[in-house]
Amino acid sequence: MTKKRFNPIKDKSSEIIEFLMSSPDIPDDDALQFKLRLSIEEAVDNVVRYAYDGGIGWLEVGTNIDGANPVLTIELRDAGIKFNPLDHEDPDISLNAEERQIGGLGIFLCKKMMDSISYRYEDGNNVLTMTKKLN
Amino acid sequence: MEVTINKQDNKTLVSLNGRIDTSNVEKFQHDIEPLMQGDNPDIVLDCSNLTYTSSQGLRMFLMLQKSVLARSGKMVMTNMRPQVKEVFDITGFSNIITIL
Repeated sequence: MTKKRFNPIKDKSSEIIEFLMSSPDIPDDDALQFKLRLSIEEAVDNVVRYAYDGGIGWLEVGTNIDGANPVLTIELRDAGIKFNPLDHEDPDISLNAEERQIGGLGIFLCKKMMDSISYRYEDGNNVLTMTKKLN
Repeated sequence: MEVTINKQDNKTLVSLNGRIDTSNVEKFQHDIEPLMQGDNPDIVLDCSNLTYTSSQGLRMFLMLQKSVLARSGKMVMTNMRPQVKEVFDITGFSNIITIL
């Protein structure tokens, strides 16, 4: 697994996203990269905004490819406030523009762009795992 | 992200060039602020060079649409690239913003 630890502050977001997107595990496929970049950005942004409540902390991110029918795994781990982003209700996409709330779309996009997204709280860490089948 | 704004007759033509993401959304919000006021709220957004938007960009488009509707105007997005269009489709934004 390719992984690295960062200080999850706003100014570092681009560096964290580019680290993951430049991993050798990321296929050279523009359409797929669009989906992966979007999912990574939303997941990283979630940690940057909420995990440490403005305080100092770390975010460890990594990628891995597994299996004969390869599956790409992207993992984010932080030691911030215990928070399961999957607990949030999906936005109601049937509402009209006046009724739609501004926000709540980030993790929803991850769910739609990836094949799976899961959360666990392990050893005091929030661990978010997203997978995408390749080929 | 470059935002070019041109007034034409009673509507505003806006050209979007680049990506909207966490790193530049505050500048984008600043750039589109002039579109959220005034007596001629009709807007055409040319998206042919909009290459990417995250949820941060969607928030801005929803804010803009709410502002236009509140002034009884019409906002249209044109020439959207397929991958960007998919983001609008998935989130239901294609139903609340006119995309031509």
